[in-house]
Amino acid sequence: MKIIGSDPPRWADKLLSWFCKDEVLENVQGDLHELFQLRVQRVGLKKARLLYVRDVVSLLKPRLIRNVQRPGAFVQYGMFKNYFRNSVRVLRRNALFSGINITGLSISMSVAILMVVLLTELHSFDSFHEKKDRIYRVITFKRALLQGEAELNATASHYIGDRIAAEVEGVEQVLILDRKMNADFRSIDTAIPVAGYYASPTFFDVFSFKLTRGNPARALENAGSVVLTASTAKKLFGDDDPINKTIVVEANDDFRLGVVTGLMEDPPLNSHIHFEVLVSMATVEQSPVERRRKSGTNPGNYAQSYVYVVLKKGAKPEDIDGTLSEMMSIHNASSAPLTLSLQPLKEFVREEVGNAPGPIFSRRKVAMMMALSVIVVLSACFNYSHLSLVSALRRCKEVSVRKITGAARSHIFIQFITESFVVSFVALIIGVGLFLLIKSEFLRLPDLTHSGRPIFHLALTPVHAGIFLLLASVVAIIAGFFPSLILSKLKANTLITDVGKHKFIAVLSTRHVLTAVQMTLSISLIMCAVILFKQYKFVLNYDLGFETHKVLNVRVDPKDAEVLENEFAAIAGVEATSRSAVALGTRHLIPADATTDSPQDTLMFSANYVDDKYLAMHGFKLIAGSGFSKPLSDSTSDGIIVNANFLKSLSLGSPEESLGKQIWYFGERKLKIQGVVQDFVSHSLDAEAPPAFGFLLGDSHDMGVLGVKISEDNRLATLQALERAYQKVDPVHPFEAAFYDDQIATTYAESMATYKIISYLAFLAISISALGMLGMAAFTVETRMREISIRKVLGAGGNSLFYLLSKDVFILILAAGVIAVPSTLYLVDHVMLSEFIYRIDHSIIDMFSGLIAMLLIGGLTTACQMRVAVLRNPAEVLRKE
Amino acid sequence: MKDTNLGAFEELVLLAVGSLGENAYGVSIKEALEAKTGRLPSIGALHSALYRLEDKGYLKSAEGGATAERGGRRKKFYQLSASGKRALQAAHELRMAFSSRIPGFKLSNQRS
Repeated sequence: MKIIGSDPPRWADKLLSWFCKDEVLENVQGDLHELFQLRVQRVGLKKARLLYVRDVVSLLKPRLIRNVQRPGAFVQYGMFKNYFRNSVRVLRRNALFSGINITGLSISMSVAILMVVLLTELHSFDSFHEKKDRIYRVITFKRALLQGEAELNATASHYIGDRIAAEVEGVEQVLILDRKMNADFRSIDTAIPVAGYYASPTFFDVFSFKLTRGNPARALENAGSVVLTASTAKKLFGDDDPINKTIVVEANDDFRLGVVTGLMEDPPLNSHIHFEVLVSMATVEQSPVERRRKSGTNPGNYAQSYVYVVLKKGAKPEDIDGTLSEMMSIHNASSAPLTLSLQPLKEFVREEVGNAPGPIFSRRKVAMMMALSVIVVLSACFNYSHLSLVSALRRCKEVSVRKITGAARSHIFIQFITESFVVSFVALIIGVGLFLLIKSEFLRLPDLTHSGRPIFHLALTPVHAGIFLLLASVVAIIAGFFPSLILSKLKANTLITDVGKHKFIAVLSTRHVLTAVQMTLSISLIMCAVILFKQYKFVLNYDLGFETHKVLNVRVDPKDAEVLENEFAAIAGVEATSRSAVALGTRHLIPADATTDSPQDTLMFSANYVDDKYLAMHGFKLIAGSGFSKPLSDSTSDGIIVNANFLKSLSLGSPEESLGKQIWYFGERKLKIQGVVQDFVSHSLDAEAPPAFGFLLGDSHDMGVLGVKISEDNRLATLQALERAYQKVDPVHPFEAAFYDDQIATTYAESMATYKIISYLAFLAISISALGMLGMAAFTVETRMREISIRKVLGAGGNSLFYLLSKDVFILILAAGVIAVPSTLYLVDHVMLSEFIYRIDHSIIDMFSGLIAMLLIGGLTTACQMRVAVLRNPAEVLRKE
Repeated sequence: MKDTNLGAFEELVLLAVGSLGENAYGVSIKEALEAKTGRLPSIGALHSALYRLEDKGYLKSAEGGATAERGGRRKKFYQLSASGKRALQAAHELRMAFSSRIPGFKLSNQRS
């Protein structure tokens, strides 16, 4: 008898009916209930329920469990072949849609591939060093006093390196590199300029560069020892063995004669530090000039050397940071404070620091590029989702038939996912091809890192293949998931009936969202490209206040300069020459300070050493006083020519009043104001510089830039003549000359690179959106063919048809514009252009450029498809009804 | 004497079914086993064995006997099929073949 009110636990019952096989369920469950009732009488309700649960658990036997679709039973191999073949057929049949999808996806994949290859290579920087986990660099932080000066520097003082080596416990090795190693090396046959470092003997203990000849422990021990890189050795000695050969050194204060003690492989491309030679540190330490200079004992002299340390196993960098600040405390008490810290090896190329020995590709840049690539890829995925969803609606009949003949929901899903995989992998292959095309363009981008050398190989390796497959799969899933899901969920009978009538409400609004998102991105990117382009052009054409056209700047060795100037002046086509220390407007400046007689007034300003012809040749207009005249003897002149801002900052009165007034230069040299020029742009437009400026009459050995004004006729002949004349005088150094205008353009190289990247991406975005809109228009026309024909019959003209077809698209574009325009403006002004001081105002056209472009494209694609519609004979279309 | 591939528990289950005649279903089989062996077979093991034996063809089943205690669910009554009987026979003979040779064993029903 059943006791009313006592029941086995409901949840256990439900669980049982969930997992148990259907044919067994009834009698098993019945047995359990019967037992339950018996137990209630024998041992009570609580125990009976417990035992019930135990029994349910005991029934979890494989033989008794419901046959859930086990992976093996999912889809057999034969079905996959079928899906694959089907996908290929589908692609061939809908050539237009397939083409659009594949093109869009492959374009975006090429971008993604570029990012992947770039990132993997970036990651591999310096990975060849054995002790890479324990190598750190001492970096110096100083609050920047001059704009454009870096606050964080990769350098540190020689002094601190010595102290660390002597006192700090947790440090195994210390390596100091000195940057002063620039000279001309002369062998028996040739002479070449070389750049490198003075290095302490621990170099090969710290870094794992390979020494092919010579003893790594002893090669840098003695003064005068030189280690050559393979390519440098080849230039100096050809194929001969360079070991023990002598090198005559010129143009270097510390170093006269060297002996080659080692030969090493060139530093690989993925090294953070590059050099051509290494000279032993002992050489500079023992030179008489250095003994006077004593730079090695000054803690404030931090910009000349790099200090690397290898920590002992288990030592913690944070502990050493504290010791470092202790060591600097005496110096910091009396001078501008310097904060030192340890930088781990993997940050060497990732953190933005000044005075880096090689390329830097900062996290910020990488993040920006990644964000942009992700945007492009997602854009293409959206496109694919949208288009395949929409084109799949045309295949409802096919889906219905499949379902009726027995396909399960999962089978339909797999079929469509297979299609998206096929498309994705085809796109991958094409994408790799596209990548190889854009690779060389990318590598040629104006030097992103100011290091003057290529940073990346961007070579494809087998490792990449795996990542690419993964990428293609992810794209396939993102793009294909949604349409496959929708289609598999549709009920068979509703599909067979008229497609046109079936409104997928949810789908429709999702489609609109997809399109709108794409539009927003495209509008955004186009706007960025246009605005950046305008800014770049503006900056290039900005009137700097002095003349740069027709001027060629030649780098000269100051001791040859006078001879060269005379030689050049004799060449036909040369209109004028002048000399200076730096070329203004190209980020090179000489920082200086000036004080008046009331010592509280100190002005930081920028200076240039020039000769007497400089101001005239570059068109500087004097508003008071006179220019420099040729010095009569070798005595240094005491005149300074300043700009109007200089006067204002030091309250020296009007230009006329200020003439003859005296200022102290660096607190030690007295200068008289000789003339005043109008304000001009002395620095590059994207960094602030002290607006006060002063020209000083330079000594011969200060001025290494020879400006030559060349007439525009027969330029090439003039250039060649200049080169020949130069090589007669200075056969060692290569002829380095650049047009002033080009030099200025190069300083904006980084902006140019950014601009190129953005515009490429904008182009991609436009292409993808255009493709998307084309597909949409095609689909709209096709499904509304009947409606169009009827309207035509009733007398509608081209215009009203166009309006009808394009209404939806235009509304979406406008909506996207509302979101995109203000947010992009904000982004551009506050993030991208924030470094430019002189900025062009955005015209209305610029602001709405993206929107207008999208509207145009929308209009064009609709018009294209409309032609198709309009040209069809309505009678033929309606005949089928 | 063929080997019948019959596990010890399965053999017991067949024997229990045989001994219960018309009234062999889940609960009754379980109780019969409990009474004879003194151990409690788990309902999962029992039903698993019953399912397997029916699959092998040693048992046949029929539905019926719904009661209120069972919430209106029917019982599945099992009976030995012909091959089931043969299998039991074979198993029994196998045991006999060995045990009759063991000196000093006194078994009931022993053929001398």
